[in-house]
Amino acid sequence: MHARSDRSPSGRFGLRGFLQRGALFTALWWVLAEGRADAWGIGAVSVLLATAASLALAPPGPGRLSAIGLLGFAAFFLAQSALGGIQVAARAFRPRMDLAPALVEVPITLPDGAARILLVNTLNLLPGTVSVGLRGDRLCMHVLDDRLPVAAEVRQVEARIARMLELPA
Amino acid sequence: MTPLEALSALLLLAGAAFYLAGTVGLLRFPDVYARLHALTKADNLGLGLIALGLALQAENPAAGLKILLVWPLVLVASAAVSFAIARRAHELGILPAGAESPAPPAPPPEGEARIMPPGDRA
Repeated sequence: MHARSDRSPSGRFGLRGFLQRGALFTALWWVLAEGRADAWGIGAVSVLLATAASLALAPPGPGRLSAIGLLGFAAFFLAQSALGGIQVAARAFRPRMDLAPALVEVPITLPDGAARILLVNTLNLLPGTVSVGLRGDRLCMHVLDDRLPVAAEVRQVEARIARMLELPA
Repeated sequence: MTPLEALSALLLLAGAAFYLAGTVGLLRFPDVYARLHALTKADNLGLGLIALGLALQAENPAAGLKILLVWPLVLVASAAVSFAIARRAHELGILPAGAESPAPPAPPPEGEARIMPPGDRA
């Protein structure tokens, strides 16, 4: 179940990475062309160019992506997005908005790079938190209601990202 | 009206309601940080519901997926932009309304302009 990036000696332009990304861009073209068959000429050229650009700009690294982790993360993200929207909407419409805003700092354990960027952006979309800044290993966030368990939520998102990217927890 | 059309209409109406909530929040919430909550959360859910509602009316699966693809792309942009706005506001020393023990503003990156106290701006 693991979509592994290419690690073969043939390096960053290995066949496996090429096929994986090529398949992804082919699917994307099919969607963009809304399934029409008459556009596949331009499509083939576009897919090749996109695959080449993608391999050049973001060569496959040693990183792995767990398919189960990805599905779990997607489901978690959808549910939490709905919760976040409902929460904010309820407060916006309530005559007394009942906010307890605060800036809080939470230590984070995910390594620098993609994992952290994903964490900061995910937290922006989840209920109650907007990321304000990263200082070293501490994330500063604005919360709408500091009575909610924010630190626990950050832990949970971190754990899900670590599982998806197969990082040591 | 087929059941599919009814479901689509329901999703579109719910999406519009969340957009309305996001706008009401934008107008009512006390400061820049709280307003970002309204925009990133309510509007994003609204967009997801509207995209889903429209995708149900699409002529074929590919066209439906194309509409659904709008949602994650806007999510990425919205998350990144709200982080940029919140970080800048914090660097400028803008304190959240009603915060009891405000954290000190983050030091600006190298070569950045001086920190303006909140009262200093027009």
